[in-house]
Amino acid sequence: MLKVDRELRRKWDLLWLLTKKEVTLKYKRTSLGILWSLLNPILVALVLFIAFGVFMKFEMENYAFFLLSALFPWNWFSASIILSSVTLIGNVNLIKRIRFPRHFLIIATVLAQFVNLLFSLPIIVGLAYFYGKGPGMNWFLAIPILIVLQFAATLGICLAISMVNAYFRDMEYIIGVIISMLFWMTPIIYPLDTVPKAYQIYLIFNPLTYLITAWRDIFMSNSINWSNMGISLGSSLVFFLLGVLVFHSLGKKLDEVI
Amino acid sequence: MSYIVEIEDVWKKFPMKRDRPGFKEFMVNLPRFVKRNSNSYFWAIKGVSFKVKTGECLGIIGKNGAGKSTLLSLILGTIYPTRGYVKVSQRITPLLELGAGFHPDLTGRENILINGVLLGLTRDEVMQRMSDIIAFSEISEFMDMPVRTYSSGMYLRLAFSVAIHIDPRLVLIDEVLAVGDAAFQKKSQDALTGLIKGVATAIFVSHNMDAIKKICDRTIWLADGEIKAEGEPKKVVEEYLRCSG
Repeated sequence: MLKVDRELRRKWDLLWLLTKKEVTLKYKRTSLGILWSLLNPILVALVLFIAFGVFMKFEMENYAFFLLSALFPWNWFSASIILSSVTLIGNVNLIKRIRFPRHFLIIATVLAQFVNLLFSLPIIVGLAYFYGKGPGMNWFLAIPILIVLQFAATLGICLAISMVNAYFRDMEYIIGVIISMLFWMTPIIYPLDTVPKAYQIYLIFNPLTYLITAWRDIFMSNSINWSNMGISLGSSLVFFLLGVLVFHSLGKKLDEVI
Repeated sequence: MSYIVEIEDVWKKFPMKRDRPGFKEFMVNLPRFVKRNSNSYFWAIKGVSFKVKTGECLGIIGKNGAGKSTLLSLILGTIYPTRGYVKVSQRITPLLELGAGFHPDLTGRENILINGVLLGLTRDEVMQRMSDIIAFSEISEFMDMPVRTYSSGMYLRLAFSVAIHIDPRLVLIDEVLAVGDAAFQKKSQDALTGLIKGVATAIFVSHNMDAIKKICDRTIWLADGEIKAEGEPKKVVEEYLRCSG
Protein backbone atom coordinates (compact mmCIF):
# COMPACT_ATOMS: atom_id res chain seq x y z
CA MET A 1 0.00 0.00 0.00
CA LEU A 2 2.77 2.35 1.00
CA LYS A 3 4.55 1.61 -2.24
CA VAL A 4 1.50 2.40 -4.32
CA ASP A 5 1.09 5.67 -2.46
CA ARG A 6 4.68 6.59 -3.12
CA GLU A 7 4.41 5.88 -6.82
CA LEU A 8 1.24 7.94 -7.03
CA ARG A 9 2.87 10.74 -5.09
CA ARG A 10 5.83 10.68 -7.47
CA LYS A 11 3.61 10.83 -10.54
CA TRP A 12 1.78 13.78 -9.06
CA ASP A 13 5.08 15.52 -8.31
CA LEU A 14 6.30 14.85 -11.82
CA LEU A 15 3.17 16.28 -13.42
CA TRP A 16 3.32 19.31 -11.16
CA LEU A 17 6.96 19.98 -11.96
CA LEU A 18 6.53 19.51 -15.69
CA THR A 19 3.58 21.89 -15.71
CA LYS A 20 5.44 24.43 -13.63
CA LYS A 21 8.40 24.15 -15.95
CA GLU A 22 6.15 24.72 -18.94
CA VAL A 23 4.56 27.79 -17.36
CA THR A 24 7.73 29.43 -16.08
CA LEU A 25 10.06 28.59 -18.94
CA LYS A 26 7.89 30.22 -21.54
CA TYR A 27 8.61 33.71 -20.33
CA LYS A 28 11.77 33.02 -18.37
CA ARG A 29 14.04 35.36 -20.27
CA THR A 30 11.52 38.13 -20.86
CA SER A 31 11.31 41.24 -18.70
CA LEU A 32 7.56 41.10 -18.16
CA GLY A 33 7.65 37.41 -17.34
CA ILE A 34 4.39 35.72 -16.49
CA LEU A 35 2.53 39.01 -17.11
CA TRP A 36 2.63 38.08 -20.78
CA SER A 37 0.10 35.37 -20.00
CA LEU A 38 -2.32 38.16 -19.26
CA LEU A 39 -1.07 40.75 -21.70
CA ASN A 40 -0.95 38.52 -24.76
CA PRO A 41 -4.65 37.54 -24.87
CA ILE A 42 -5.66 41.12 -24.05
CA LEU A 43 -3.65 42.52 -26.94
CA VAL A 44 -5.05 39.94 -29.35
CA ALA A 45 -8.54 40.75 -28.09
CA LEU A 46 -7.84 44.46 -28.61
CA VAL A 47 -6.90 43.87 -32.24
CA LEU A 48 -10.07 41.86 -32.84
CA PHE A 49 -12.14 44.44 -30.99
CA ILE A 50 -10.82 47.26 -33.14
CA ALA A 51 -11.40 45.26 -36.30
CA PHE A 52 -14.90 44.04 -35.56
CA GLY A 53 -16.21 46.27 -32.80
CA VAL A 54 -14.99 49.59 -34.17
CA PHE A 55 -14.45 49.20 -37.92
CA MET A 56 -17.11 46.62 -38.74
CA LYS A 57 -19.48 47.88 -36.05
CA PHE A 58 -21.22 44.68 -35.00
CA GLU A 59 -24.70 45.68 -33.80
CA MET A 60 -24.42 44.62 -30.24
CA GLU A 61 -24.08 46.23 -26.88
CA ASN A 62 -20.90 45.28 -25.19
CA TYR A 63 -19.06 43.64 -28.00
CA ALA A 64 -15.89 43.51 -25.93
CA PHE A 65 -17.51 41.29 -23.31
CA PHE A 66 -19.10 39.15 -26.02
CA LEU A 67 -15.74 38.65 -27.67
CA LEU A 68 -13.68 37.93 -24.58
CA SER A 69 -16.15 35.46 -23.08
CA ALA A 70 -15.47 33.15 -26.02
CA LEU A 71 -11.96 34.17 -26.95
CA PHE A 72 -10.33 33.22 -23.66
CA PRO A 73 -11.61 29.61 -23.64
CA TRP A 74 -10.74 29.38 -27.34
CA ASN A 75 -7.19 30.52 -26.60
CA TRP A 76 -6.77 27.67 -24.15
CA PHE A 77 -7.84 25.24 -26.84
CA SER A 78 -5.87 26.61 -29.76
CA ALA A 79 -2.63 27.31 -27.89
CA SER A 80 -2.65 23.79 -26.43
CA ILE A 81 -3.12 22.22 -29.84
CA ILE A 82 -0.44 24.31 -31.52
CA LEU A 83 2.11 23.79 -28.75
CA SER A 84 1.46 20.11 -28.28
CA SER A 85 2.17 19.34 -31.92
CA VAL A 86 5.86 19.88 -31.14
CA THR A 87 5.86 18.66 -27.54
CA LEU A 88 7.04 15.14 -28.29
CA ILE A 89 9.53 15.97 -31.01
CA GLY A 90 10.85 18.84 -28.93
CA ASN A 91 11.62 16.58 -25.98
CA VAL A 92 13.60 13.91 -27.80
CA ASN A 93 16.27 14.02 -25.14
CA LEU A 94 13.88 13.12 -22.38
CA ILE A 95 11.97 10.53 -24.34
CA LYS A 96 14.98 8.65 -25.60
CA ARG A 97 16.96 8.65 -22.40
CA ILE A 98 14.64 8.59 -19.45
CA ARG A 99 11.73 6.31 -18.81
CA PHE A 100 8.67 8.19 -17.64
CA PRO A 101 5.06 8.42 -18.76
CA ARG A 102 5.29 10.32 -22.02
CA HIS A 103 1.71 11.48 -21.95
CA PHE A 104 2.64 13.63 -18.93
CA LEU A 105 4.40 15.98 -21.33
CA ILE A 106 1.16 16.53 -23.20
CA ILE A 107 -0.93 16.88 -20.04
CA ALA A 108 1.56 19.45 -18.79
CA THR A 109 1.26 21.42 -22.02
CA VAL A 110 -2.53 21.55 -21.76
CA LEU A 111 -2.42 22.40 -18.04
CA ALA A 112 0.09 25.18 -18.61
CA GLN A 113 -2.24 26.77 -21.14
CA PHE A 114 -5.05 26.37 -18.64
CA VAL A 115 -3.04 28.52 -16.24
CA ASN A 116 -3.21 31.27 -18.87
CA LEU A 117 -6.99 30.99 -18.85
CA LEU A 118 -7.00 31.33 -15.07
CA PHE A 119 -4.91 34.46 -15.43
CA SER A 120 -7.42 36.06 -17.74
CA LEU A 121 -10.45 35.01 -15.68
CA PRO A 122 -10.40 38.14 -13.45
CA ILE A 123 -11.11 40.24 -16.53
CA ILE A 124 -14.19 38.15 -17.28
CA VAL A 125 -15.31 38.39 -13.67
CA GLY A 126 -14.95 42.17 -13.81
CA LEU A 127 -16.89 42.44 -17.06
CA ALA A 128 -19.61 40.15 -15.76
CA TYR A 129 -19.88 42.21 -12.63
CA PHE A 130 -20.30 45.50 -14.49
CA TYR A 131 -22.16 44.49 -17.62
CA GLY A 132 -23.55 41.01 -17.24
CA LYS A 133 -25.68 39.24 -14.70
CA GLY A 134 -22.72 39.06 -12.38
CA PRO A 135 -20.84 35.99 -11.23
CA GLY A 136 -23.55 33.88 -9.60
CA MET A 137 -23.95 30.49 -8.01
CA ASN A 138 -24.35 28.94 -11.45
CA TRP A 139 -20.72 29.75 -12.13
CA PHE A 140 -19.54 27.36 -9.48
CA LEU A 141 -21.49 24.54 -11.06
CA ALA A 142 -20.98 25.22 -14.75
CA ILE A 143 -17.39 26.38 -14.91
CA PRO A 144 -15.79 23.29 -13.35
CA ILE A 145 -17.85 21.11 -15.67
CA LEU A 146 -16.85 23.14 -18.70
CA ILE A 147 -13.22 23.02 -17.65
CA VAL A 148 -13.31 19.24 -17.38
CA LEU A 149 -15.11 18.87 -20.72
CA GLN A 150 -12.73 21.15 -22.55
CA PHE A 151 -9.71 19.62 -20.85
CA ALA A 152 -10.71 16.12 -21.91
CA ALA A 153 -11.40 17.10 -25.51
CA THR A 154 -8.26 19.21 -25.82
CA LEU A 155 -6.07 16.57 -24.23
CA GLY A 156 -7.41 13.89 -26.56
CA ILE A 157 -6.73 15.96 -29.65
CA CYS A 158 -3.30 17.01 -28.36
CA LEU A 159 -2.30 13.42 -27.63
CA ALA A 160 -3.19 12.35 -31.13
CA ILE A 161 -1.61 15.32 -32.86
CA SER A 162 1.66 15.22 -30.96
CA MET A 163 2.07 11.54 -31.78
CA VAL A 164 1.06 11.83 -35.42
CA ASN A 165 3.45 14.75 -35.86
CA ALA A 166 6.34 12.54 -34.78
CA TYR A 167 5.64 10.24 -37.73
CA PHE A 168 4.46 12.82 -40.18
CA ARG A 169 6.08 16.18 -39.56
CA ASP A 170 3.84 18.00 -42.01
CA MET A 171 1.15 17.75 -39.37
CA GLU A 172 2.53 20.75 -37.53
CA TYR A 173 1.84 23.01 -40.51
CA ILE A 174 -1.48 21.44 -41.37
CA ILE A 175 -2.60 22.08 -37.81
CA GLY A 176 -1.72 25.75 -38.08
CA VAL A 177 -4.06 26.07 -41.03
CA ILE A 178 -6.82 24.02 -39.45
CA ILE A 179 -6.71 26.04 -36.25
CA SER A 180 -7.08 29.35 -38.04
CA MET A 181 -9.88 27.88 -40.12
CA LEU A 182 -11.62 26.62 -36.98
CA PHE A 183 -11.30 30.05 -35.42
CA TRP A 184 -13.46 31.56 -38.14
CA MET A 185 -15.82 28.60 -38.20
CA THR A 186 -16.66 28.86 -34.53
CA PRO A 187 -18.93 31.63 -33.26
CA ILE A 188 -16.24 33.54 -31.37
CA ILE A 189 -16.15 36.95 -32.96
CA TYR A 190 -19.74 36.79 -34.24
CA PRO A 191 -22.96 35.36 -32.82
CA LEU A 192 -24.27 32.15 -34.38
CA ASP A 193 -27.57 33.69 -35.49
CA THR A 194 -25.90 36.32 -37.69
CA VAL A 195 -24.67 33.55 -39.95
CA PRO A 196 -26.93 33.00 -42.98
CA LYS A 197 -29.15 29.97 -42.53
CA ALA A 198 -27.58 28.16 -45.46
CA TYR A 199 -24.17 28.20 -43.81
CA GLN A 200 -25.21 27.58 -40.23
CA ILE A 201 -25.15 23.88 -40.93
CA TYR A 202 -21.35 23.95 -41.09
CA LEU A 203 -21.15 25.51 -37.67
CA ILE A 204 -23.62 23.06 -36.25
CA PHE A 205 -21.33 20.20 -37.13
CA ASN A 206 -18.47 21.87 -35.31
CA PRO A 207 -18.34 20.50 -31.75
CA LEU A 208 -16.53 23.62 -30.59
CA THR A 209 -19.61 25.72 -31.35
CA TYR A 210 -21.44 24.10 -28.46
CA LEU A 211 -18.59 24.32 -26.00
CA ILE A 212 -17.78 27.94 -26.77
CA THR A 213 -21.43 28.96 -26.65
CA ALA A 214 -21.82 27.26 -23.28
CA TRP A 215 -18.87 29.26 -21.96
CA ARG A 216 -20.39 32.46 -23.28
CA ASP A 217 -23.79 31.69 -21.78
CA ILE A 218 -22.42 31.23 -18.30
CA PHE A 219 -20.12 34.24 -18.48
CA MET A 220 -22.56 36.69 -20.06
CA SER A 221 -25.95 35.67 -18.77
CA ASN A 222 -25.18 33.42 -15.82
CA SER A 223 -27.22 30.64 -17.42
CA ILE A 224 -26.28 27.02 -17.77
CA ASN A 225 -26.76 25.72 -21.25
CA TRP A 226 -27.40 22.06 -20.41
CA SER A 227 -28.10 20.88 -23.94
CA ASN A 228 -24.82 22.34 -25.22
CA MET A 229 -22.99 20.83 -22.31
CA GLY A 230 -24.55 17.46 -23.04
CA ILE A 231 -23.38 17.60 -26.64
CA SER A 232 -19.93 18.70 -25.48
CA LEU A 233 -19.80 15.77 -23.08
CA GLY A 234 -20.38 13.40 -25.97
CA SER A 235 -17.80 14.98 -28.24
CA SER A 236 -15.25 15.34 -25.45
CA LEU A 237 -15.54 11.67 -24.67
CA VAL A 238 -15.06 10.73 -28.31
CA PHE A 239 -12.03 13.00 -28.75
CA PHE A 240 -10.50 11.86 -25.50
CA LEU A 241 -10.84 8.17 -26.26
CA LEU A 242 -9.65 8.55 -29.83
CA GLY A 243 -6.65 10.52 -28.64
CA VAL A 244 -5.69 7.93 -26.06
CA LEU A 245 -6.08 5.18 -28.63
CA VAL A 246 -3.88 6.91 -31.22
CA PHE A 247 -1.27 7.84 -28.63
CA HIS A 248 -1.10 4.36 -27.25
CA SER A 249 -1.00 2.45 -30.51
CA LEU A 250 1.49 4.72 -32.28
CA GLY A 251 3.55 5.20 -29.11
CA LYS A 252 5.09 1.74 -29.35
CA LYS A 253 7.18 2.68 -32.34
CA LEU A 254 7.87 6.26 -31.33
CA ASP A 255 11.52 5.51 -30.64
CA GLU A 256 12.04 4.48 -34.25
CA VAL A 257 10.78 7.71 -35.79
CA ILE A 258 11.66 10.43 -33.35
CA MET B 1 17.55 -16.59 -6.65
CA SER B 2 15.78 -13.43 -7.71
CA TYR B 3 16.47 -11.88 -11.07
CA ILE B 4 16.31 -8.15 -11.46
CA VAL B 5 16.43 -8.22 -15.24
CA GLU B 6 15.08 -10.98 -17.43
CA ILE B 7 15.50 -10.79 -21.16
CA GLU B 8 14.10 -13.50 -23.29
CA ASP B 9 14.64 -13.94 -27.00
CA VAL B 10 14.56 -10.23 -27.67
CA TRP B 11 14.64 -8.93 -31.22
CA LYS B 12 14.73 -5.31 -32.23
CA LYS B 13 14.59 -3.89 -35.71
CA PHE B 14 14.95 -0.31 -36.88
CA PRO B 15 13.81 1.01 -40.21
CA MET B 16 16.87 1.81 -42.31
CA LYS B 17 17.47 5.47 -41.77
CA ARG B 18 17.29 6.99 -45.18
CA ASP B 19 16.23 10.61 -45.34
CA ARG B 20 12.79 10.77 -46.72
CA PRO B 21 12.77 12.49 -50.10
CA GLY B 22 11.32 15.95 -50.30
CA PHE B 23 8.36 16.62 -52.53
CA LYS B 24 10.43 17.80 -55.47
CA GLU B 25 12.71 14.78 -55.56
CA PHE B 26 9.71 12.59 -55.10
CA MET B 27 8.01 13.99 -58.19
CA VAL B 28 11.15 13.85 -60.32
CA ASN B 29 11.94 10.29 -59.36
CA LEU B 30 8.37 9.08 -59.15
CA PRO B 31 8.77 5.93 -61.30
CA ARG B 32 11.72 4.75 -59.30
CA PHE B 33 10.03 5.23 -55.96
CA VAL B 34 6.97 3.35 -57.05
CA LYS B 35 9.04 0.41 -58.24
CA ARG B 36 11.22 0.15 -55.20
CA ASN B 37 8.72 0.01 -52.41
CA SER B 38 11.55 -0.42 -49.99
CA ASN B 39 10.81 -1.94 -46.65
CA SER B 40 14.34 -2.36 -45.48
CA TYR B 41 15.06 -2.95 -41.85
CA PHE B 42 18.09 -3.31 -39.75
CA TRP B 43 18.03 -5.86 -36.98
CA ALA B 44 19.99 -4.35 -34.13
CA ILE B 45 19.29 -7.15 -31.67
CA LYS B 46 18.78 -10.71 -32.86
CA GLY B 47 17.42 -13.10 -30.31
CA VAL B 48 19.26 -12.14 -27.17
CA SER B 49 18.43 -13.82 -23.85
CA PHE B 50 20.04 -13.38 -20.47
CA LYS B 51 19.23 -12.76 -16.86
CA VAL B 52 20.87 -10.56 -14.29
CA LYS B 53 20.86 -11.54 -10.64
CA THR B 54 20.33 -9.02 -7.88
CA GLY B 55 23.65 -7.53 -6.85
CA GLU B 56 25.51 -8.76 -9.87
CA CYS B 57 27.63 -6.62 -12.16
CA LEU B 58 27.28 -7.57 -15.79
CA GLY B 59 29.69 -6.23 -18.39
CA ILE B 60 28.80 -5.91 -22.04
CA ILE B 61 31.54 -5.62 -24.63
CA GLY B 62 31.57 -5.57 -28.40
CA LYS B 63 32.48 -3.50 -31.41
CA ASN B 64 30.77 -0.24 -32.31
CA GLY B 65 27.36 -1.00 -33.74
CA ALA B 66 27.13 -4.41 -32.12
CA GLY B 67 23.91 -3.42 -30.37
CA LYS B 68 25.19 -2.60 -26.90
CA SER B 69 23.45 0.72 -26.52
CA THR B 70 20.26 -0.58 -28.06
CA LEU B 71 20.30 -3.34 -25.47
CA LEU B 72 20.68 -0.82 -22.66
CA SER B 73 17.83 1.27 -24.02
CA LEU B 74 15.65 -1.84 -24.15
CA ILE B 75 16.41 -2.55 -20.50
CA LEU B 76 15.82 1.07 -19.61
CA GLY B 77 12.47 0.89 -21.36
CA THR B 78 12.79 3.87 -23.66
CA ILE B 79 12.45 1.56 -26.64
CA TYR B 80 10.32 -1.53 -27.03
CA PRO B 81 11.43 -4.89 -28.36
CA THR B 82 10.02 -5.93 -31.72
CA ARG B 83 9.75 -9.48 -30.42
CA GLY B 84 10.42 -11.20 -27.13
CA TYR B 85 10.17 -9.62 -23.72
CA VAL B 86 12.17 -7.58 -21.28
CA LYS B 87 11.29 -7.68 -17.62
CA VAL B 88 12.83 -5.27 -15.15
CA SER B 89 11.68 -5.20 -11.57
CA GLN B 90 13.45 -2.26 -9.97
CA ARG B 91 14.12 1.41 -10.20
CA ILE B 92 16.78 2.15 -12.78
CA THR B 93 19.35 4.89 -13.02
CA PRO B 94 20.60 5.40 -16.48
CA LEU B 95 24.10 6.78 -16.64
CA LEU B 96 23.86 6.70 -20.38
CA GLU B 97 23.96 10.25 -21.43
CA LEU B 98 24.20 12.40 -18.38
CA GLY B 99 21.99 15.41 -17.95
CA ALA B 100 19.45 14.31 -20.52
CA GLY B 101 16.64 15.95 -18.61
CA PHE B 102 18.40 19.22 -17.93
CA HIS B 103 16.94 22.37 -19.32
CA PRO B 104 19.44 25.15 -20.08
CA ASP B 105 17.22 27.96 -18.83
CA LEU B 106 16.48 26.40 -15.43
CA THR B 107 18.87 26.89 -12.54
CA GLY B 108 21.02 24.09 -11.18
CA ARG B 109 18.69 23.67 -8.24
CA GLU B 110 15.56 23.52 -10.39
CA ASN B 111 17.22 21.00 -12.68
CA ILE B 112 18.21 18.80 -9.77
CA LEU B 113 14.61 18.72 -8.62
CA ILE B 114 13.02 17.94 -11.95
CA ASN B 115 15.71 15.46 -12.95
CA GLY B 116 15.51 13.67 -9.62
CA VAL B 117 11.78 13.25 -9.98
CA LEU B 118 12.14 12.11 -13.58
CA LEU B 119 14.65 9.50 -12.46
CA GLY B 120 12.31 8.03 -9.88
CA LEU B 121 12.25 9.99 -6.64
CA THR B 122 9.43 11.97 -5.12
CA ARG B 123 9.80 15.69 -4.66
CA ASP B 124 10.36 15.34 -0.92
CA GLU B 125 13.02 12.71 -1.41
CA VAL B 126 14.92 15.00 -3.78
CA MET B 127 14.64 17.88 -1.34
CA GLN B 128 16.12 15.72 1.43
CA ARG B 129 19.09 14.88 -0.77
CA MET B 130 19.47 18.32 -2.26
CA SER B 131 22.37 19.38 -0.05
CA ASP B 132 24.20 16.08 -0.59
CA ILE B 133 23.80 16.37 -4.33
CA ILE B 134 25.06 19.94 -4.35
CA ALA B 135 27.95 19.10 -2.05
CA PHE B 136 29.03 16.16 -4.20
CA SER B 137 29.05 18.27 -7.35
CA GLU B 138 31.35 20.82 -5.66
CA ILE B 139 29.79 23.69 -7.60
CA SER B 140 27.44 25.03 -4.94
CA GLU B 141 28.14 28.66 -5.78
CA PHE B 142 26.52 28.22 -9.20
CA MET B 143 23.37 26.50 -8.03
CA ASP B 144 21.09 29.46 -8.59
CA MET B 145 22.37 30.23 -12.05
CA PRO B 146 20.83 28.82 -15.20
CA VAL B 147 22.54 25.69 -16.41
CA ARG B 148 23.25 27.26 -19.80
CA THR B 149 25.94 29.36 -18.10
CA TYR B 150 27.77 26.24 -16.88
CA SER B 151 30.90 24.88 -18.45
CA SER B 152 30.54 21.38 -19.86
CA GLY B 153 32.54 20.00 -16.95
CA MET B 154 30.24 21.64 -14.42
CA TYR B 155 27.22 20.38 -16.31
CA LEU B 156 28.47 16.78 -16.16
CA ARG B 157 29.37 17.05 -12.49
CA LEU B 158 25.88 18.13 -11.63
CA ALA B 159 24.30 15.45 -13.80
CA PHE B 160 26.48 12.77 -12.29
CA SER B 161 25.70 13.93 -8.75
CA VAL B 162 21.99 13.64 -9.36
CA ALA B 163 22.29 10.22 -10.95
CA ILE B 164 24.42 8.82 -8.16
CA HIS B 165 22.13 10.08 -5.40
CA ILE B 166 18.82 8.53 -6.32
CA ASP B 167 19.52 5.17 -4.65
CA PRO B 168 19.03 3.06 -7.71
CA ARG B 169 18.68 -0.69 -7.48
CA LEU B 170 19.88 -1.07 -11.02
CA VAL B 171 22.50 1.09 -12.69
CA LEU B 172 23.02 1.16 -16.42
CA ILE B 173 26.41 2.57 -17.34
CA ASP B 174 27.49 3.45 -20.82
CA GLU B 175 31.08 4.66 -20.76
CA VAL B 176 30.71 7.63 -18.48
CA LEU B 177 33.38 6.90 -15.98
CA ALA B 178 35.36 9.87 -17.22
CA VAL B 179 33.53 12.86 -15.78
CA GLY B 180 35.31 16.13 -15.10
CA ASP B 181 38.91 16.69 -14.13
CA ALA B 182 41.25 14.10 -12.65
CA ALA B 183 40.16 14.69 -9.06
CA PHE B 184 36.48 14.50 -9.82
CA GLN B 185 37.05 11.48 -12.06
CA LYS B 186 38.51 9.59 -9.17
CA LYS B 187 35.73 10.71 -6.86
CA SER B 188 33.00 9.73 -9.31
CA GLN B 189 34.63 6.38 -10.00
CA ASP B 190 34.86 5.66 -6.30
CA ALA B 191 31.22 6.59 -5.81
CA LEU B 192 30.18 4.39 -8.67
CA THR B 193 32.28 1.45 -7.57
CA GLY B 194 30.85 1.89 -4.07
CA LEU B 195 27.36 1.80 -5.49
CA ILE B 196 28.06 -1.29 -7.57
CA LYS B 197 29.84 -3.15 -4.79
CA GLY B 198 27.05 -2.15 -2.42
CA VAL B 199 23.42 -2.90 -3.06
CA ALA B 200 23.04 -2.00 -6.67
CA THR B 201 23.01 -4.29 -9.64
CA ALA B 202 24.89 -2.87 -12.58
CA ILE B 203 25.02 -3.36 -16.28
CA PHE B 204 28.15 -1.85 -17.63
CA VAL B 205 28.98 -1.20 -21.27
CA SER B 206 32.56 -0.33 -21.98
CA HIS B 207 35.51 -0.55 -24.30
CA ASN B 208 37.82 -0.32 -21.34
CA MET B 209 38.77 -3.97 -20.92
CA ASP B 210 40.65 -3.40 -17.68
CA ALA B 211 37.61 -1.81 -16.07
CA ILE B 212 35.46 -4.71 -17.27
CA LYS B 213 37.84 -7.24 -15.80
CA LYS B 214 38.11 -5.32 -12.54
CA ILE B 215 34.47 -4.49 -11.84
CA CYS B 216 32.31 -7.13 -13.50
CA ASP B 217 31.24 -10.54 -12.23
CA ARG B 218 30.16 -11.72 -15.63
CA THR B 219 30.58 -10.49 -19.17
CA ILE B 220 28.65 -10.76 -22.37
CA TRP B 221 30.26 -10.26 -25.73
CA LEU B 222 27.84 -8.89 -28.24
CA ALA B 223 28.51 -9.16 -31.97
CA ASP B 224 26.06 -8.08 -34.66
CA GLY B 225 23.16 -8.19 -32.26
CA GLU B 226 23.86 -11.66 -30.98
CA ILE B 227 25.60 -13.00 -27.91
CA LYS B 228 28.90 -14.43 -29.07
CA ALA B 229 30.27 -15.42 -25.71
CA GLU B 230 29.25 -15.21 -22.11
CA GLY B 231 30.88 -15.92 -18.79
CA GLU B 232 33.98 -15.16 -16.74
CA PRO B 233 35.11 -11.58 -17.65
CA LYS B 234 38.78 -12.54 -18.11
CA LYS B 235 38.04 -15.32 -20.53
CA VAL B 236 35.47 -13.42 -22.55
CA VAL B 237 37.70 -10.36 -22.80
CA GLU B 238 40.66 -12.48 -23.95
CA GLU B 239 38.57 -14.20 -26.54
CA TYR B 240 37.19 -10.87 -27.74
CA LEU B 241 40.64 -9.33 -27.99
CA ARG B 242 41.98 -12.36 -29.86
CA CYS B 243 39.15 -12.20 -32.40
CA SER B 244 39.31 -8.48 -33.02
CA GLY B 245 43.03 -8.71 -33.42
